[in-house]
Amino acid sequence: MVDFIRFTVNGLVGGSFYALLALGLAVIFGMLRVVNFAHGAFYMLGAFGAYMFVNEFGLDFWLALAVVPVALGLVGIVIERAFVHRLTRLDPLYNFLLTFGLTLILQDVVKARYTVSSVTIPPPYPLAADANLGLFHFPAYRVFVFVFAVAVCAGVWWLLARTRIGMVVRASTERPELTRAFGIDVSRWVTPVFGFGIGLAALSGVLAAPTRAISPLMGADLIIVVFAVVVIGGLGSIFGSVLAGFAIGLIQAWGEAYAPAIVSQVLVFLVMAGVLLWRPSGLFGREEQMA
Amino acid sequence: MTTQTDLKPARRPPVGPLLGRVARLPKAGQAGLLALGVGVAVWLPNGIYSGVAMDMLCWALFAVSVDLLLGYTGLLSFGHAAFWGTAAYSTALLAVHAHVVFPIAVLAGAGASAVLALPIGYLAVRRTGIYFAMVTLAFAQMVYYVANEWRSVTGGENGLQGVPRELFGLDLSDTYYLYYAALPIAAAGLFAAWRIVNSPFGRVLVSIRDNPARTRALGYSVRRYKITAFVLSAFLAGLGGGLFAIAHGFVSLDTVHWTTSGEAVIVVVLGGIGTLWGGVIGSVLLVWLEDRLSVAGFTLVGLITGSIFVVVVLAFRRGIWGTVRALFHRERDGRR
Amino acid sequence: MRRTIGALAACTVGVLFVAGCGGGPSKPAGQLSNNKIVLAVLNDQSGVYSALSGKNSVAAVNMAVEDFKAKYGANAITQNVEVITADHQNKPDVASTKATEMYDRNNADIILDVPTSSAALAVADIAKQKKKLYFNIGAASTDLTGVKCNKYTFHYAYDTWELAHSTGTTLTNSGAKSWYIIYPNYAFGQDMNKNFTEAIKAAGGAVVASDGTPFPNQTGDYSTQLLKASTLTPSPDTLGVMQAGADLVNVVKQYNEFKLKDKGIKLAVGLMFITDIHSLTPDALTGTTFTEPWYWNFDATNRAFADRFFAKTGARPTFANAANYSAALQYLEAVQAANTDDADTIVKQLEGKSVNDLFLRNGTIRAADHNVVHDAYLAQVKASSDVKEPWDYEKILNTIPAAQAFGPPSSACTM
Repeated sequence: MVDFIRFTVNGLVGGSFYALLALGLAVIFGMLRVVNFAHGAFYMLGAFGAYMFVNEFGLDFWLALAVVPVALGLVGIVIERAFVHRLTRLDPLYNFLLTFGLTLILQDVVKARYTVSSVTIPPPYPLAADANLGLFHFPAYRVFVFVFAVAVCAGVWWLLARTRIGMVVRASTERPELTRAFGIDVSRWVTPVFGFGIGLAALSGVLAAPTRAISPLMGADLIIVVFAVVVIGGLGSIFGSVLAGFAIGLIQAWGEAYAPAIVSQVLVFLVMAGVLLWRPSGLFGREEQMA
Repeated sequence: MTTQTDLKPARRPPVGPLLGRVARLPKAGQAGLLALGVGVAVWLPNGIYSGVAMDMLCWALFAVSVDLLLGYTGLLSFGHAAFWGTAAYSTALLAVHAHVVFPIAVLAGAGASAVLALPIGYLAVRRTGIYFAMVTLAFAQMVYYVANEWRSVTGGENGLQGVPRELFGLDLSDTYYLYYAALPIAAAGLFAAWRIVNSPFGRVLVSIRDNPARTRALGYSVRRYKITAFVLSAFLAGLGGGLFAIAHGFVSLDTVHWTTSGEAVIVVVLGGIGTLWGGVIGSVLLVWLEDRLSVAGFTLVGLITGSIFVVVVLAFRRGIWGTVRALFHRERDGRR
Repeated sequence: MRRTIGALAACTVGVLFVAGCGGGPSKPAGQLSNNKIVLAVLNDQSGVYSALSGKNSVAAVNMAVEDFKAKYGANAITQNVEVITADHQNKPDVASTKATEMYDRNNADIILDVPTSSAALAVADIAKQKKKLYFNIGAASTDLTGVKCNKYTFHYAYDTWELAHSTGTTLTNSGAKSWYIIYPNYAFGQDMNKNFTEAIKAAGGAVVASDGTPFPNQTGDYSTQLLKASTLTPSPDTLGVMQAGADLVNVVKQYNEFKLKDKGIKLAVGLMFITDIHSLTPDALTGTTFTEPWYWNFDATNRAFADRFFAKTGARPTFANAANYSAALQYLEAVQAANTDDADTIVKQLEGKSVNDLFLRNGTIRAADHNVVHDAYLAQVKASSDVKEPWDYEKILNTIPAAQAFGPPSSACTM
């Protein structure tokens, strides 16, 4: 039983990354109708940012956690203004393709600098030890990741539910034309929200950096799983995407612990297939255009 | 229930204004270009390394299959490597274990891809647009993981090796001769694509691309047409994949990886969405470019292809062939 | 429509006719094909193994060519010795294509290196097809001298049997009685798991459990397995880790993070390179024992080579660099002795030969399976306080004689 709880905690930690990435993806999609393929690349850049801070500049990890997402969020804003903005009046497929091209470029740029082998950084200072969770011990940093991710999701929920910008984002997500018809200048918020979404991806990356290998390809396969997650949760639903992220993390951890290797890898896609059969717009999604 | 289709002008399909007319060049021009194309295809292995020429053939089929869906049905399949790779593995298995003659093996491989396309297509067409792309990508990733795990069949990370080139005892070990033996198959595939597009079926596809609601109102089963197009496209991609397996004598997990799917899309966009031959041109260019880069020892291929892609998507969406045709039409009727 | 079909049919017939008349290019007469010797180094120059072998191995091969020319001077069979190289990015399909190109387009007489087992096996097939020589140095799979063995393929430096029976046996003999093995779930990893399990059992130990981890590993997260290690009954005293490269770096990091050492679970690494120690820093791996095919600071001969190498490249040679040097030199010597570069003649020249050079100590090029056996070493990672100069990470505990280091020829090999 204790083992099961331990694997569950592990799954929640893994799910935290999916949830944060899905959150950023859903937020960007909500405002811009852009599915950001480069989300995984920014996750990777966030992790490398943390590595640079800790290993090359010799600074504190916590400083990286504060600075890197903001810095990359600003990069996201620049990208939105320079590239994404030009294509938003066209079919969203073009922006999907654009962000795919950006992913290839970003991956190779990092590959040129760091090669495909990975680098690592240790868990940050006060959390390097084990936490006593009552029934068992667990690496403290990983517990922190879960708590922090939940806090971020809660914070974003608060932003969406209780602030004006949140209201604008939610309205634009559900009824973009109607929102504009009310005289709200949606476009003013598009760029900052895109930057915010990118910042969330980078934040995921910084959080992930002490727990796994940092390599230029680390975001690539992960983002495809996150796509499946948001299809399951419903891309138009921010809440659904986050919930699906944690759920998939759990399912994968249980699958890895109790079933042969292939199961945990394809599970998310099988669930996606099931959702497509039963509720094509996702578990929490809204009915969008149907074929 | 108002959908966003009616309200938002940006819901236009990803093709230029010209292509809705199934634009064509004048007959004489068409015949001339066809002759030129055939001439180049027949001459090719004499001018460049035959291995590269073979790759161009295979990728031309792949690109055309993606364009059939993207340019003519309005469906961006971002997981077509699933079909390219499945056919490659199937063809290779038949050649290695049953010593099947390679044209039959290739056709069977393509058939296997078509069979795989049925359930995937059935599920995927329940969404449209960007969702469709994400769903195809996800299913293709699943195929990748299955291929990776099913080691006894696919060889997993080691890949399938020693794929023979069987053709009634003829010696095809020099790729120069394999190219000519494979050329009829590739030509047949390209011809089939052309026939599909220039047929009533193809017209319905274009109609679905431009206005699904109206097409449905006219009594066509949009879903069934989409699935059919998806399966046909998978078969074509499979033809390319099967030939690829025979040409390289080797099938690896790379054939089902998402970067391969992405490359196919890049090639179509570069050549020109909805032009069919644009895909051929795009694939010839990309295969040639990658060969030059690899000979020069430059490994950051993604940087180059990604940059080309970004530039094309931002500024050059009609693609190469699309631009050529647009020039023609601008002459004819002064419309941009 | 009918005309089109007719055209297609004619095309097909014409093509088949041409194909039938075709045949391979005829072999030019003369001592040396194309009047030169072309050495091709095919390895990873941008990925996980680029530090281990990569461009430095090309430098090593160039050193071998220099030494060959210096030794024979004007009597060398030819001064026209070319070294070409390509990057296979650890991908078997790229390796396969590049190998074909090197043999066909560049007239390579021999291909050297090729790390990553899947790429190595692919090139073995090509070598067999093209009937040209191939010395594999960087890959570990025993299949190269087993089911995939062929006349033109030689396996030079190390294999999974050697790793298992050196590391596994020694550690079991010195107290590691119950093991939990984790391995990457592909050919190499499964091979390692099999060989290690055999070796451990033969030495009187037991494998409590073994788990495959997804490969390629998308998340780099081994927490499930590491948690399992501490919850197994009976509790293992050793964690056997078969991951390589970036995956190894990950596992070791997380091993330290989960504090398994404090829980009494020691770390044993199946395959480790000096470059991994360099990436992780010695502190992360202090005390870990592993099998090393060759160490630069082992004796004066190695040190002399290492100094020359350092002057040229600014780095200390890894075993792969030294093996490439040795393989290139052995090939050139064989060509000189046989007075031709004809592959079949060279193969006969090499089979059964005993060699003692920089890399091969008490070495033999076995005729039965073309496995090049030699002495290996049991090494231990020093604490960073003991490291006196850069790259001086290893302490050699003992030498494993060639007869013990490599397994007997496999019955699966038929040449």
